[in-house]
Amino acid sequence: MKSLVCLKQVPDTETQIKVKPDGTGIVTDGIKYVINPYDEFSVEEALRLKEKFKAGEVVILTVGPDRCTEAIRTALAMGADRGIHVNDESLNDADPYSIAQVLAAAASQEGYDLIFCGHRAIDDDFGEVGAMLAELLQLPQVTLVTKLEIADDTQSAVVERDVEGGKEVIEVPLPCVLTSQKGLNEPRYASLPGIMKAKKKKIDKKTAADLGITSERKLAPTEYTMPPERKAGKKYEDMEPAEAAKIVVEALRSEAKVI
Amino acid sequence: MANLLIDERDMKFVLYEQLNIEELCESQHYAEFSREMFDMVLDAATKLAEKELAPTNADGDQKGVVLENGEVKVPESFHRAYQLYCEGGWAALPVSEEHGGQGFPLSIYGATTELFVAANQALLMYPGLTVGAARLIEKYGTEAQQRTYMDNMYAGVWAGTMCLTEPQAGSDVGALRTKAVKNSDGTYSITGNKIFISAGDHDLTENIIHMVLARVEGAPPGTKGISIFIVPKKRIEGEELVDNDVTTMAIEKKLGIHASATCALNFGEKDNCIGYLLGEENQGMRIMFNMMNEARLAVGYQGLGQASAAYMYALRYAKDRFQGPEISTMKDPVAPKVPIIQHPDVRRMLMWMKSVTEGIRGLLYFASYCGDRIHAAKTDEEAAKYQGFLDILIPVCKSYSSDMGFRVTELAVQIHGGYGYCREYPVEQFLRDCKIASIYEGTNGIQALDLVGRKLGVGQGLLFKSIAAETGNLLKNAKKNFRLKDIVEPFDEARAQLIEVTRYFGLKSITEDFMTPILYATPYQDLFGDVAVGFMLLWQAVIADRRLEELYGDAKADTPEKKAELLRTNRSAAFYRGKVASAEFFANTVLSLAKGKARAIMSGERSAIDLPEESFALF
Ligand SMILES: Cc1cc2nc3c(=O)[nH]c(=O)nc-3n(C[C@H](O)[C@H](O)[C@H](O)COP(=O)(O)OP(=O)(O)OC[C@H]3O[C@@H](n4cnc5c(N)ncnc54)[C@H](O)[C@@H]3O)c2cc1C
Repeated sequence: MKSLVCLKQVPDTETQIKVKPDGTGIVTDGIKYVINPYDEFSVEEALRLKEKFKAGEVVILTVGPDRCTEAIRTALAMGADRGIHVNDESLNDADPYSIAQVLAAAASQEGYDLIFCGHRAIDDDFGEVGAMLAELLQLPQVTLVTKLEIADDTQSAVVERDVEGGKEVIEVPLPCVLTSQKGLNEPRYASLPGIMKAKKKKIDKKTAADLGITSERKLAPTEYTMPPERKAGKKYEDMEPAEAAKIVVEALRSEAKVI
Repeated sequence: MANLLIDERDMKFVLYEQLNIEELCESQHYAEFSREMFDMVLDAATKLAEKELAPTNADGDQKGVVLENGEVKVPESFHRAYQLYCEGGWAALPVSEEHGGQGFPLSIYGATTELFVAANQALLMYPGLTVGAARLIEKYGTEAQQRTYMDNMYAGVWAGTMCLTEPQAGSDVGALRTKAVKNSDGTYSITGNKIFISAGDHDLTENIIHMVLARVEGAPPGTKGISIFIVPKKRIEGEELVDNDVTTMAIEKKLGIHASATCALNFGEKDNCIGYLLGEENQGMRIMFNMMNEARLAVGYQGLGQASAAYMYALRYAKDRFQGPEISTMKDPVAPKVPIIQHPDVRRMLMWMKSVTEGIRGLLYFASYCGDRIHAAKTDEEAAKYQGFLDILIPVCKSYSSDMGFRVTELAVQIHGGYGYCREYPVEQFLRDCKIASIYEGTNGIQALDLVGRKLGVGQGLLFKSIAAETGNLLKNAKKNFRLKDIVEPFDEARAQLIEVTRYFGLKSITEDFMTPILYATPYQDLFGDVAVGFMLLWQAVIADRRLEELYGDAKADTPEKKAELLRTNRSAAFYRGKVASAEFFANTVLSLAKGKARAIMSGERSAIDLPEESFALF
């Protein structure tokens, strides 16, 4: 079982995000970066498959700047075999479509039985890359996966996925793209011996040119702003309840315009 | 706020910017490491501490340990946390590869220890004692002892303990009575009672290896006649583990670390307890002494870990809790209520906690780093210099960190008000858990005697002179920076006071008035701690000030308004500003008291000694 795990490095959920004064992005100084949590589920699942079938490979595929090496190495410390790091100036702040293009090109060069993506990345929350990647590679896809059983002949898989208010069970032929959802598994922690081993594992560096890609961006951000701060509430005190109700209804209608 | 256990930015600042531990990787000893690996280790440790160890801390406190049918059980939740800790290889992080560890620098070990202790001090007692015991076997054990015991201990499969204390032998270890009688096969039969033995029994591992101090029949009295033995809970006979006649008589009910079993153990009740000599007969104290620095530093890290978490929780609470209006609108009954962090008295407490915690962090990491420099040293002189720093700083690290760490936890309770006194918030547990650190591993009073009675005397004051020279160099450097004037002056003054008191002690110790240094050993240790921590904070401020100025320069922030704006939007700038403030605050509110403290010591005031016991109170 050879799995490609598409892995993104994102700011830690707990990081307080600040927008640059000129609105061109967020302030990255002092941010702590982590592996996108959904991608951790992917790594874990791929490792379990390799362990179960006692054969194959887990390859980490990441697009991003230099700092992403740490995320790849952490996945290698969890037990993945090697990494591919597409690091190209032109892809910084790339949109989901460009990323999917790059991943598709890299995946085609590699070969695979399964491709894992997180069902979304917790930084920009697009949730589009996995689906686009499957389309570009013309592969079947199952999104929001919470359980995975690969058939013994490794030709197909039975997959459980989240749907509104329940679960859906789907059989899918391999190769395919799966996007991981919370509940799929409990990712292991990187161990110290794992970290020592990760040091010697290979990370291939690639540029967009190496993959024969010029990014065709479909989306470009125009401005970043913080959500407006919640205004302090207004209090209607020292009056009869009936009178207060009247004033509040009026305020809801004319000031807040919610009724 | 991300991490409530430790200020990660400060941890990395000390490691990379103050101590520049990356440089260690240039030495042969640490050549296989890199900044990237250190970062991965710190991240992995943070994650484990936050996600697995910390969530079991309150549970451990409430459930505690139980003794049932002669067996001790730890809280159920500890099993998984302990297992993950061992599987991750954390216990053996600084142990050489040759002995089954990873050989990381001690400074990295220090940082991870702070994190883990901050998350769960009681849990960390188990692997902590195991490593301490395994270290002894690593250093003094035979090949066979290493393979039989040490390998299993570093892997966390078996645990370990240190058995020194007996009812009549606490601080005075030399008074111990546990007996060892040599058998014809070279083993020894052990009989005796030990008390207060941490991790003395538990169900985390299938076997426990006790390192027992005992007296061989006919050995001289006092510390000279002490030997040390490996006494397994279950000894190996053939392929089997059989009961080795070690019984748990009781477990203590205590103020804190409820989930750490503190056991009274009986050895050889049925005359069937076998011990295996470690090293040679009557070498027990020498062997223990060799491990003392590491063990005492580890206890210092307990004080630091509790302080660290207490500060982070108090800070969060102070930002969340609304109470009272801002001081300038105090009289206006409808003035808006503000978070308590806006009240000056709360800020003052936070500032004290911040500066002290950061200063202790600097000091303890520095002590660990001295250990690394000894390993990485190119010459014997270099190694001796760092060994000297370590030797004189150890009692200060242990005592100051545990005493001040406790005070930080106390202020965390204070900042939480009534809520802090209640179980619902974690800070009262930090306070209770922290207290033990000033008592075990040599009470802080015993540390002070070690500092004054032993360390100051080494090589006629050689150790002290070398620390004084090191701080003098920093001072010279810092004096060049005019912006740091307000920090440098109080530091300079406090350092001068410490030197003067040390000289005074030197004079007293060669006259018949040797009582004065003994009587004032603890206040002296405290003053020493102030100066040592001040030294760290000044060192940090020199770096932080430079970085801050660079950031101001890069952003062209040349007016107070622009600087204020940068501090709001740039995390690094805000951090460095905070570092300089820690040094300023500590210099002006703590170091400035040095003169008074020195005067109190040199007053030679003797009533504590001269007063007849009858006059202390009428019983
Ligand atoms: C929770 C806990 C865990 C422990 N774990 C272990 C363990 O794992 N292994 C182990 O062997 N022990 C352990 N101990 C024992 C601990 O190390 C001792 O309690 C400590 O050394 C002090 O001894 P004591 O309690 O007999 O106090 P004492 O020695 O009676 O001291 C009482 C007071 O007198 C002072 N004092 C005593 N002698 C002198 C002196 N010569 N000069 C000046 N002042 C003096 C002390 O500083 C202290 O303030 C543990 C204790 C506790 C409470």
